[in-house]
Amino acid sequence: MMQLFGKSAELQLEKDVSTRYLPVVISAMIFLAALSIGGLFSLNNAINDWSETLTGNLTVEIAFDPTADLDQKVEDAVDLLTNTPGVAAARAIERDETLKLLEPFLGKNTALGDLPVPRLIEVIIAQDSAIDLAALNDKLSESVPGARLDIHRPWLDKMVLLGRSIQLLAAAIMLLIGGVTVIIVIFAVRTGLIMHSEVIQVLHLIGARDNYIAEQFQNYFSRLSFLGALPGLIVAIIVMFVFNFLVGSLEASMLPPLSVGIEGIVALLLLPILVALLTKYTVRLVVLKSLGRMM
Amino acid sequence: MVRFENVGMRYGLGPEVLRDINFHLRPGSFHFLTGPTGAGKSSLLKLLALSHRPSRGLITLFNKEVSSLARDDLPAMRRKIGVVFQDFRLLDHLSALENVALPLKIAGAKNAQIYQHVAELLEWVGLGRQVDAKPPTLSGGEKQRVAIARAVINRPQLLIADEPTGSMDAEMGLRLMYLFQELNKIGTTVVVATHDLELIKRFGNPVMYLKDGLLTTSGPAQAPAQSSRAET
Repeated sequence: MMQLFGKSAELQLEKDVSTRYLPVVISAMIFLAALSIGGLFSLNNAINDWSETLTGNLTVEIAFDPTADLDQKVEDAVDLLTNTPGVAAARAIERDETLKLLEPFLGKNTALGDLPVPRLIEVIIAQDSAIDLAALNDKLSESVPGARLDIHRPWLDKMVLLGRSIQLLAAAIMLLIGGVTVIIVIFAVRTGLIMHSEVIQVLHLIGARDNYIAEQFQNYFSRLSFLGALPGLIVAIIVMFVFNFLVGSLEASMLPPLSVGIEGIVALLLLPILVALLTKYTVRLVVLKSLGRMM
Repeated sequence: MVRFENVGMRYGLGPEVLRDINFHLRPGSFHFLTGPTGAGKSSLLKLLALSHRPSRGLITLFNKEVSSLARDDLPAMRRKIGVVFQDFRLLDHLSALENVALPLKIAGAKNAQIYQHVAELLEWVGLGRQVDAKPPTLSGGEKQRVAIARAVINRPQLLIADEPTGSMDAEMGLRLMYLFQELNKIGTTVVVATHDLELIKRFGNPVMYLKDGLLTTSGPAQAPAQSSRAET
């Protein structure tokens, strides 16, 4: 660690004006990268939650019909489902409960009670059961007119596709951030090499190996990157907390809170170390390549 | 020790600044290198210091042909050569002691060993009381002595000095030359580039005379003769 963060004893890179703003740029990059990571892991967790919740969980929908006895239809459907092998439980969702589910979308309104809402039945499939959902749907429609089995699959598939697309976008943003960081570091190092060319020449003439010079550059720049990454990461974490607070404070929110999970936290904490390592090896390559052109 | 055979040198695609240079320096010898401004003295010193490669010809240093030496082998060869620059090239943020210690530090010597040697050497060049002084606070002569101490701390086999007396008064120049003589007496081969003909005459060492990129004479301090082959 001491080696990684050692000072550039002979080159005095610390006094370079050209690298003074590098930590600020790195900080901004890490802020964006941390938000991307937050989004990426949150989305991944959300997709897993959706899949887990909706696998083995079905809904039977009985269309609103003012002329029919909906309560009787619900009772018939629950009886049929309960007696179907592979169905662990079937529970009728009361009309008031259904209206409550609509509140996040339509708000609290006394007029909600007048809406022609369908009746719902929550169906839980027994674990490891090989139930034929298409046959069950046909049977249900025959026995209870207007009843339809909603297996959520098409909705879930679309949500998963959307989620994965956003994840790809976040990964592309991460790559872009990494690429831009590397380019910025390369320019800063090349400027440093030009500014210190005389001292480098003296060091060479008194027997310094390229590695000795490269180490001074890589230690200094990786230190700058690490120290620049910390405030960017801290601000990004604060922003995520604020976002979650705001999402939590909205009663009728459709947005899920950011939840990065353990893997996400580890990835966020590794970010400063990763950027320091990326900087270190980028600087090393650039310096060794440039010194190789000298005698 | 040092042998140049038909050496030519050019910068980039420019004209040759050194042409058909041939000479041989024996171990423990002391040479002056002189000639008019622009004759190629600094270029010749760059070749000797392994700071540049020749564009043609062969250079043998310490029994090794170095004109096409692998880059990884250069540092070890350079540690056998001490260079005193005309403009000193000391690192201003380091003390006199740290500047002189640099070659040993780079070579990987232990701290205790480094500082004992450096303190002794600074005492020897008359800077025992200024070990902690930074170069900007030293006079021209003192800086030059720090530069010499840095050049010889590794006990080099070859010492090269480019106009070492150029930035100091005659008395200080003489004292420096005596210092070089002392080093020469303990076996170091010395090459001093200078414009100061009085100095050359006073010491009477062999002279290499460069003019228009050609080594035209060699021998004790005398008028240049037309010859491009030197054996000293």
